[in-house]
Amino acid sequence: MQKFFSNKKAIAIFVLPSLILFIVVVFYPLIQIFIKSFYEWNGLSKGTFIALENYTRLFEDSTFETSIKNGLIFATFLTIYQIGLGTILAFAASNIKTKTGGFFRIVYFLPVVLSVTVVCQLWLSVFNAEYGLLNKLFEILGIDFSQDWLSDRNNAIFVVAFVNAWQYLGYQFALILAGIKSIPTHYYEAAQIDGASPLQAHLKITIPMLAETYRFCLVLAITGGLNAFTQMFIMTNGGPGTSTYTLTYMMYSSAFRAGEYGYGMASASFLVIQCLIATIVINKLIARERIVY
Amino acid sequence: MERAVNSKTKNKLKFSNIFYRICLWAYAILSFYPIVWMIFYSFKNNDEIFVSNPFGPPTTLRLENYFKALTQYNVPKYFLNSVVVSICTVALTILLATMFAYATARMKWKGQNVARIFVSIGMFIPVQSILIPLAILVRDLNLSNRYLSLIVPYTAFNLAFSSMVLYGFLRSIPIELEEAACIDGAGIFTTFSKIIVPNLKPAISTLIIFTFLQAWNEFPIALILITEESMKTLPLGLLFFQGQFTTDWGAMGAAMAIASLPTVIMYVFFSNQVEKALTIGGAVKG
Repeated sequence: MQKFFSNKKAIAIFVLPSLILFIVVVFYPLIQIFIKSFYEWNGLSKGTFIALENYTRLFEDSTFETSIKNGLIFATFLTIYQIGLGTILAFAASNIKTKTGGFFRIVYFLPVVLSVTVVCQLWLSVFNAEYGLLNKLFEILGIDFSQDWLSDRNNAIFVVAFVNAWQYLGYQFALILAGIKSIPTHYYEAAQIDGASPLQAHLKITIPMLAETYRFCLVLAITGGLNAFTQMFIMTNGGPGTSTYTLTYMMYSSAFRAGEYGYGMASASFLVIQCLIATIVINKLIARERIVY
Repeated sequence: MERAVNSKTKNKLKFSNIFYRICLWAYAILSFYPIVWMIFYSFKNNDEIFVSNPFGPPTTLRLENYFKALTQYNVPKYFLNSVVVSICTVALTILLATMFAYATARMKWKGQNVARIFVSIGMFIPVQSILIPLAILVRDLNLSNRYLSLIVPYTAFNLAFSSMVLYGFLRSIPIELEEAACIDGAGIFTTFSKIIVPNLKPAISTLIIFTFLQAWNEFPIALILITEESMKTLPLGLLFFQGQFTTDWGAMGAAMAIASLPTVIMYVFFSNQVEKALTIGGAVKG
């Protein structure tokens, strides 16, 4: 048996492809980010070492501040919308014991399987200032709330965050619903006998039992928000002005538009650190112990 | 007395049931109507979309929008590219992750924990952060505008999560299975492919869905590495309709509908499997 499990050739065949791939495509570039963030570099030459200059420049750049703030707004919005609303809807779906439960799951999950570009462009047409669905709706209802949704410096980031939240709500909803269904029903029967209302039962049983699920959902929502890029790239191009820049967007535009690769790497290294901190904090906050039924 | 209490709780139950239903239906409209609205306008002309009938179903089915989208633009090509890239990513990820997870979970060698933890770093690194070095790496290796230039990074990034899930799952499979196989004289490769892999099926089907969705919707890496029109994946290819069609919403809607249809149909057919997969994903992870 010992020999069976320490077959050197087999171990090499099993492990090496993954390790090599990981080192070349993930780990080596990761190291590069931190090294090259100390260089002034145009992506072609060797670059010149400028120590912390990229970082001091970052801290003086007002776009950097906007980017960090937008990342936090995006992450908060996703968390409230997807986990908050997702939880309420999952409770509701688990409580009605009919066939329609499956119907809601399908309808909520549909946007997840659409291409992200389709979703962004669909919402671009909904938010269109002249012809969009939303403004037409206000017109019909006689409410004077029509506006150019994406050209408002303060609100554009929320509109963009909403589109991302809308697309992936179904994913979080399905995860939470699956979590609820994995809780043994006799817990609820016991609660019912003790006279608890369904809402009380959820607050006292479901939420604590879902700690593991929530940890995963939170990591998805928060890191997803901090990394946001695609939505702003398609919907606003970072604008109006730089008001919907995020760290990823900033990195993209410094490197691939302005050709300042070193400066872009400094934003990238911030991105990595930010996500690491977020993940560690979430894991610390929500205890790791597995619940055994 | 007892009866009164009973009917009271029943009323309460009924009320909360109605409240739940209202919530569910309200969100169903928010989730579904925009998509339906897009389908509607893909059959309309501008007059109907903008002025006469913005909300309802089209009065006449203007199929010329679809004809235009199919003939003038590369929607089928983008779709094919996305399918190839996503399927290859899934296959390669599952293959590598299963082998890696097996070697770290079961086999005995120096550094197995170090290797496992090292690869799991990948879970905490946002794909976006390594865009610049990745672009340079692909440029230096002369790999731009090939399927491989997408499949390889997608696989590398999905490896961490997949092998974590499989590792967790493997630990729950009794070791007696392999002992029996070993006593019967099976080699490690036979045991792996005939005994371990079939037992991992539930975890693998979860990962197929996770990985497929990730690859299908990946945008930033494709944006940077693919510049050639014929190599574009759907998220990238559809992007440029916004500019070209700004005045032709009908054709834009048609192109987006064509691009979405196959995955939507697939999802509706397999939705039960997707849910089952998510349940297992929820139980295994970590």
